[in-house]
Amino acid sequence: MVDILYPISLMVNGKTVQAEVSADLRLLDFLRNDLNLTGAKEVCAEGECGACTVVLDGKTVNSCLILAVETDESELTTIEGLSDGKILTQMQKAFVDHHSVQCGYCIPGMVLTGEQIVKDHDSPSRKTIQEDLSGNICRCTGYQKIVEAIEKVGHEFHE
Amino acid sequence: MVSKNKMKYFRPSSTHELHDYLVDVKEMSIAILAGGTDLMPRWNDDNGLRPDMLIDIKKIHECFGIREYENEIVIGALTTIQEIKNSILIQKYFGALSEAASHFAGVQIRHRATIGGNICNASPAGDMLPGLYAHRADMKVIGPNSSHSIPISDFIVGPGKTVLESNEIISEIHLKKSGDSSCFYKLGLRQSMAIAVVNFAIAYTRDSNNAFTSLNIAAGSVAPSIVFLNHFTDGIMNGTSLDEAIELVDKDIFPIDDIRASADYRRTVLKNVLKYTFRHELHENCE
Repeated sequence: MVDILYPISLMVNGKTVQAEVSADLRLLDFLRNDLNLTGAKEVCAEGECGACTVVLDGKTVNSCLILAVETDESELTTIEGLSDGKILTQMQKAFVDHHSVQCGYCIPGMVLTGEQIVKDHDSPSRKTIQEDLSGNICRCTGYQKIVEAIEKVGHEFHE
Repeated sequence: MVSKNKMKYFRPSSTHELHDYLVDVKEMSIAILAGGTDLMPRWNDDNGLRPDMLIDIKKIHECFGIREYENEIVIGALTTIQEIKNSILIQKYFGALSEAASHFAGVQIRHRATIGGNICNASPAGDMLPGLYAHRADMKVIGPNSSHSIPISDFIVGPGKTVLESNEIISEIHLKKSGDSSCFYKLGLRQSMAIAVVNFAIAYTRDSNNAFTSLNIAAGSVAPSIVFLNHFTDGIMNGTSLDEAIELVDKDIFPIDDIRASADYRRTVLKNVLKYTFRHELHENCE
């Protein structure tokens, strides 16, 4: 019996992507292996850690819990789609300025979640930032500098 | 049983299309996919779920949205937990559901997880369930030739078990605007992303003297499925003191030891938190 393939067409970081995928292919594997977008990472594979966070139709999601075939006709942004060449977004720059990065493994997810937080809340409080970051786990930084970076952007964003 | 990559995928856009399709695939094992946040971890497990056919119901338009009618609120089964968290209607009429949605996992999961999925998954610890029980929600179940309505307490029959037939889905959740106030409490081992050790919802009305005229409590993680604490609430309604009534909780719950907590701990913590809630929150603040 041959694999059954399903055609999908979606926007990834502003470009149309067309592919044929088997029903069992996870979005995370499709991004990393087929599109060579390796910013999203696999850690827990059960939606606990947020290292595989991407933005699907304007909302942060765990790409380990989504099949590629489900994303037909949708719009996807990965960490690779944020900066304009070497020009960083405000959030990326704030992460650099606040020394928010240690090993870096969780950071693509953290930055995308940070972008979602400043989109969802006007000048988010620390408590709000901490609550909305709860789906992203970091084992190096202790979160403090990540929260500070997001807080800074949240204030600038709404000034 | 098939290997993962032989699996078929189908995404109907209406219940009509879904049922036309289901007629032809009777012999196959089917998994229904909504948000996928419970299904996919089982899928990622090498020894986990391997259906012949995955039916993705996310585009079935009849199951979208939160709507207000004269006497009830109708929640489409595909409404995400984040949409419930952000809904002013839910906050106004069903405080316990609003609070439960706020305590539900993290943002990424809330963007995908659906209320219908949380119900059909029928976890004894499901966070949306106590509020739905306390507000006596009715499930609208649709099958190939008919639809019917069933109270949630009859719909869920055990851990992971519902009365849903393989060719049926929940399309809507109906909640009467009863005027009850409600609140939700959850104890997890950490604040976010934690499965409840104990959770419960209280729905109530009171008269001008602040005495309860109705009281309904549903608790999770203390029995094979959600239970009503009827012995306890009867005690309170009959004027039994809180200290005496709280001991009646033992007649309502059947907790077990598991990886998250012992049965004794669940029993003790449920009673302590209930007592605290009645003494400090319901009697003093929630007037």
